Amino acid sequence: MADTKTPQEESRVGRLRAIPGFGSAFIFVILAGLVVGFSIMEGTAFLSAENFLTVAVDASELLLLAVGVTFVIITAGIDLSVGSVLVLSSVIAAQTMVALSGTPEQVHSYKFPNQEVGIPLGIAAGLLIGLACGLINGLLVTKLKLTPFIATLGTLGIFLGTAEILSGGTNVPYVPTAVQSVIGTRNLLGFLPVPIAIGMVVVILAILALHLTQFGRYTYAIGSNAEAARRVGIDVERHLLKVYTLSGFLAGLAGVIDLARFNTASVGAHTLDNLAAISAVVIGGTSLFGGIGTIVGSVVGTFIPAVLRNGFVIAGVQPFWQEIAIGIVLILAVFIDQRRRSAEERM
Amino acid sequence: MSKATKGGRRISRREFLGVATAGAGVAFLGACGGGGGQGGGGESYRLYLIVGVTGDEFYTTMECGAQAAAKELGADLKVQGPEEFSAAEQTPILNAAIQANPDAILIAATDVTAMIAPIQSAVNQDITVVLVDTTIKKEEIALAKVSSDNVLGGRQAGEALAKQIGEEGKVMVISVKPGISTTDQRKQGFEEAIEKYPNIQYLGTEYCNDDPTQAASITTSTLRSNPDLKGIFGANVFSGQGAGTGVRQTGKKDEVSVVAFDASPTQVEDLRRGNVDALIAQHPNDIGNTGVRIAVEYLKSEEEPAKKQITTGFTTATRENLDKPEVKKYLYKAEC
Repeated sequence: MADTKTPQEESRVGRLRAIPGFGSAFIFVILAGLVVGFSIMEGTAFLSAENFLTVAVDASELLLLAVGVTFVIITAGIDLSVGSVLVLSSVIAAQTMVALSGTPEQVHSYKFPNQEVGIPLGIAAGLLIGLACGLINGLLVTKLKLTPFIATLGTLGIFLGTAEILSGGTNVPYVPTAVQSVIGTRNLLGFLPVPIAIGMVVVILAILALHLTQFGRYTYAIGSNAEAARRVGIDVERHLLKVYTLSGFLAGLAGVIDLARFNTASVGAHTLDNLAAISAVVIGGTSLFGGIGTIVGSVVGTFIPAVLRNGFVIAGVQPFWQEIAIGIVLILAVFIDQRRRSAEERM
Repeated sequence: MSKATKGGRRISRREFLGVATAGAGVAFLGACGGGGGQGGGGESYRLYLIVGVTGDEFYTTMECGAQAAAKELGADLKVQGPEEFSAAEQTPILNAAIQANPDAILIAATDVTAMIAPIQSAVNQDITVVLVDTTIKKEEIALAKVSSDNVLGGRQAGEALAKQIGEEGKVMVISVKPGISTTDQRKQGFEEAIEKYPNIQYLGTEYCNDDPTQAASITTSTLRSNPDLKGIFGANVFSGQGAGTGVRQTGKKDEVSVVAFDASPTQVEDLRRGNVDALIAQHPNDIGNTGVRIAVEYLKSEEEPAKKQITTGFTTATRENLDKPEVKKYLYKAEC
């Protein structure tokens, strides 16, 4: 019985596990392993602050989506519409900016006299739309009692179609370039890109919310057993409404960041973002059945495919092999993590 | 009993082996997938070609031409590309390529606006950039641009389709998505050509998002609402393929003429079977080849090229001339 622990060891492990997010330690080991592996293979081409910063910036939008979807999935729900909300928010933000930054003649010749009004209002519009879309999802799930999969599958199409109607299917042109220079590509303190800074703030707030507030506790409770939560007095419907609204808001924020980074609203892109966000969350250890999950896990889950792709491109691996490798690593990562989880639970 | 108390931080042997295998697998793939030229001789230039989307035979043919030129000039060329034709997918790949610090990057930009910033950052790091096929609004930041004259190609397609349908009837265009310089120019050229025919009614353009299945359903549903549709112009490989499939599905291949841009193996098959009536083949092999040459020439001589915008030609392929050698060599390849 070499495996029995002394009471001291047990309590040490117990205390470690009580740290918010520690349950996803193993996934982090995998990410660290990938970083080490690629660093050995490619040296400073991979292992450089500049490379890590660009990987983080490229992953910043997906990170926001993953954080929002984490809350939803912990409640045993799902949000398939995040990509469409991103696109719709960026379209409306872009069009608002274009409309309010000058007259059509001025804007078409790339002059934006009122951009100090236009840009902030555009950002606000994008965020509000994200909020509204999330609210719509929440209402469909709580009031119409639709299963989240169906509800958000429907809104995926509705939001995307709306974006396409508003933009005419084209990427929105004439967006003031100040959006890009002030937000999208700017570095704070000389080195920290704004999208990463925003992502960090959101992640920290999300960790605090999920692990230290009543909002977070209710989220876990509803995911574990919605009926029990209801009987204990939790207003499940109201809470779910908040959770879906949060997911929509973060998708809207991701849309604004996308607009800032590329200086246009890309209508045809982001079609697979929902799948990528859900994959990131699941790799990070959140259970699709609800009740289990961490923000840190989702962050790690976002970076594992990102690091893999980045490392493979630097190594020059043929693109098709990259997809196979990413798929294998994902399956292995989740498999190993789940085995540890079920071993833990059997205690 | 022992299993139940295993739930600590200890990793079992099986799990350790699992992770080690995964790690080794990744390393192995990286090593063998990376191909040669990993830090070889000091002379050879390192180039990256970033295509618009992987699996598109137009870009595969471009890769073949680029590799041929690289081999001839003793340069090391790595080819990468996104799974989806979008800036959000292409940007991380471009960023990673920049990190690998090559001497030059050839890129088919997936959006005229969105790719300006990432390409600018490559230029800022002293990497020579050559735009191949698609371009960006701020072309001047790159060394040169090599592409087909897509407006001319669109016009050629318009003329070909007009001839096919006897210069009268309803026509439509199926394109990829707005914002791509090449397909937008083809549509523009097509519309210019069609305008000259008073009896041709232009129904407009639909976008299939580079998905042949979507192009096929656009075709079949348009044929349902406009049974007298006589001509379709598919503006790229997947649009053309989808249009051909759609026409075949509705059994209308004798009534509807399809002119498609590009000549992938599937499209050539469609041409043989009569689902498509003419293909406007670009010369992607030449685009890739020329792009590499310009880059290496500049790296060697440090002199800017005399011509910064090089256009390559088109070949119209029909059932009749398909097997003639001068046409055959321009049909696209699925592998080099």
